[in-house]
Amino acid sequence: MVNVRNVRGGDGLASIRDEVDDILESVIENTRQATEDFFESYGENPDPRILSAWIEPRAWREIDYVFLLNEQIRRYGMQFSRKHITLLAKQSFQEAEHYEMVGEVIESLGGTVPKSVPPQAKPWSDFLWDCLERHPLAAIAAWNVSETSASGSFEPTFKAGEKFGFDAVVKVYKKIAIDEKFHVGLGVQILSDYAKTDHDREEILRAMRGMRDLAWKTFTPASVKANI
Amino acid sequence: MPEDKPAEVLNNGASLGVVVTEITGEADGILSFELRADNDIPLPEWRAGAHIDVILPNGVIRQYSLCGNPDDRNRWRIGVLRKTDGRGGSQYMHEHVAKGDRLRVSRPRNHFGLVEAARYLFVAGGIGITPILPMLDALERRGKSFTLLYGGRSRDTMAFVTELETFGDKVALVPQDEAGLLDIAGYLGRPEAGTVAYVCGPGPLVDAVERHCADWSIGMLHQERFAPKAKPVIEAGAFEVELSQSGKRLYVPPSESLLSVLQDAGCEIDNSCTAGICGTCLVRVLSGDPDHQDDVLSDEERASGEVMLVCVSRSNSDLLVLDL
Repeated sequence: MVNVRNVRGGDGLASIRDEVDDILESVIENTRQATEDFFESYGENPDPRILSAWIEPRAWREIDYVFLLNEQIRRYGMQFSRKHITLLAKQSFQEAEHYEMVGEVIESLGGTVPKSVPPQAKPWSDFLWDCLERHPLAAIAAWNVSETSASGSFEPTFKAGEKFGFDAVVKVYKKIAIDEKFHVGLGVQILSDYAKTDHDREEILRAMRGMRDLAWKTFTPASVKANI
Repeated sequence: MPEDKPAEVLNNGASLGVVVTEITGEADGILSFELRADNDIPLPEWRAGAHIDVILPNGVIRQYSLCGNPDDRNRWRIGVLRKTDGRGGSQYMHEHVAKGDRLRVSRPRNHFGLVEAARYLFVAGGIGITPILPMLDALERRGKSFTLLYGGRSRDTMAFVTELETFGDKVALVPQDEAGLLDIAGYLGRPEAGTVAYVCGPGPLVDAVERHCADWSIGMLHQERFAPKAKPVIEAGAFEVELSQSGKRLYVPPSESLLSVLQDAGCEIDNSCTAGICGTCLVRVLSGDPDHQDDVLSDEERASGEVMLVCVSRSNSDLLVLDL
């Protein structure tokens, strides 16, 4: 199977590649564990409102990506190639589609689609916007970790979908899983192409380390329970 | 049918696996290949005048007329003239295809079939004898009236002469080095009711017959050429793709992606970036030479030629066969 983290690009990440890989692997594992824990607790009380509460921060992530990506393009786009501007814009459109699809699922479960940042998603959102302010590559690095983390949630979600019969959620997540591969690959390619200095790499690592500690937390049973 | 006829853009017939069971020298530069199914299932039916596409292991497709017995569902026969100035298909057949080799071929198609008539006049030049040979057999069995005027550069270059001699004086062999050019006008004469003419051979021969028959009624002359009359159908940058599971063959124009052609044909293929990054449109390649344009396959994956990303990658060969 194709590994999008091996996408062709420049050598800007070469000297920090080992740590980048460690961060990405650990965030996948943490997210997988959080997702499995959530569905284990969900099995004790399979209430659609709980499932909806679990999905709501994801809906916010999708629409926040749209805002972030467009601001990224507006603020820093002219430093990138036309191809990368186009692909970032394409990613933005796909995130908007995800917001629409996830929103429909939330409503079908009796939940409410967030129109402002939910409390449990605020640390994640604040961190990304802070990264966007700091450096042209920092937000891309942070959301690359966050997007990569999602891959840890897909398999446990699909298994739980079979067990509990929430087909609509599985269908949407399968579409998102396909697009996440693109978003992860694009992020790695941009970081590899445009990271030129040690300062660039320091900002990338700072963003990635910070997101590693945040990305999975909103999907734990405790986080979901605290926000019902 | 001649090998240099360009691949017709789309052949919707399913492809078959066949084994080369016999190779016979029929004349100078001409080999016949006996093909049998690579399983126990009888080969598809065909009628005199039909041809098949042969999909060579290097991805090249060539058309060859079937010249065996249509009643024999166990074996097919094709005749191949080695052309040193051709596009390489016949040279490949002569130099690389051996007894026991497996080939992939299309189902037979027929644009040169026999029509009902009281009398048949055949003109063949060189390897153009191949679609006509089974026509003569068919008419002989039905007791129909026919004659053949068959020309070649020399007697040694004229294929299937022994089989043709069984038709006696209905067949006139005209080696050019002995008897000069074919006397088209003298042979075809004036159009007669109930008579049809068939010609197959090189362009100048077919042109000469067409000129002679210019005032004949529509439907009295049937022709098949070695080479295309017009420019080749395949444009620069275009290629064909065959879907192995359905046998569909699709034309990919230079301005359109392979992914979009496949989707238009009803294939459901995951995709996201359409830029060669996400890898979700990965497809297995069964034959042909992919032109990799993606950013994510490893060097090993590219070199293997076994997979490709259809959103951006194209083909170095005229044909790609995909596991779809």
